Amino acid sequence: MRTVVLDNEAVQALTRVAHPKHRVVVAHLAGAASRRRRGRITETVVPTSVRVEAGWDRSQPGAAALNRFRVRDHVLDGPTADVAASVVAVGAVTSVADAHVGATVRAVASGDIVVLSSDPRDMAAVCSPTPVTIVAI
Amino acid sequence: MDDLSVLDEINRLLDDRDDATVNTSMRLPVALRDAAALAVERLGAASSTTTMAAAALRDALETIVMETALRLHYEAHPDAEPSLAEVALALAAQDGSPLAEQPDAIRAAAEAVLARHPDADADDVLLWAEAQLAVTT
Repeated sequence: MRTVVLDNEAVQALTRVAHPKHRVVVAHLAGAASRRRRGRITETVVPTSVRVEAGWDRSQPGAAALNRFRVRDHVLDGPTADVAASVVAVGAVTSVADAHVGATVRAVASGDIVVLSSDPRDMAAVCSPTPVTIVAI
Repeated sequence: MDDLSVLDEINRLLDDRDDATVNTSMRLPVALRDAAALAVERLGAASSTTTMAAAALRDALETIVMETALRLHYEAHPDAEPSLAEVALALAAQDGSPLAEQPDAIRAAAEAVLARHPDADADDVLLWAEAQLAVTT
């Protein structure tokens, strides 16, 4: 199984049809759907802190279209906050959302993790040492 | 109920974590039931045939939801629909394939594949592109 993790700009691109990278991120979702059709399960995950940073409020009517893409929340609960804090403590980043991405990749059961990000360097820092494929958007 | 409402209701039901079960009147071919039982009992395919059937049904429904959500999104925003080449490029990037650095090769492959197989998917394009590169290098 593959897990695709969205960072802030990936969410913003997905949220806004006029965003210059909207089609690029949609292509990644379409690819996931295509693979599912071939029997290869791909799930898409968004850390809830990333949703906060990107302004994705699932309860708002404007988010209805985005909510339909079955992007699963990875919640910043107590244990996840501990892991995210450890990511910050080693100096990888100072952003809560970025640290939450790092905690998310450590938590997902999938052995095949892809992070869609506009900032591959920061993502590499927060995800290390978990093996991930970082796709720059 | 229109497609959007149907999609929202299916999503709501898929997200419902209520573990209550029901004896369904759904009728399965006997041979299929027996094959599943054998796979569970002798090959350890799942913890039970019920688990196996429920997981397969969930996977199928999630795929249908993703595909329908994308279709409806494209109907509302035609410019948001990525080309087959763009989807293939996204998958190449997710796969960490060297083809991700060769968008022209992927575009050419998409064009060639679609000319012969109008129903081709992104993986068909990647396979074609890889084969073309193999014979030309």
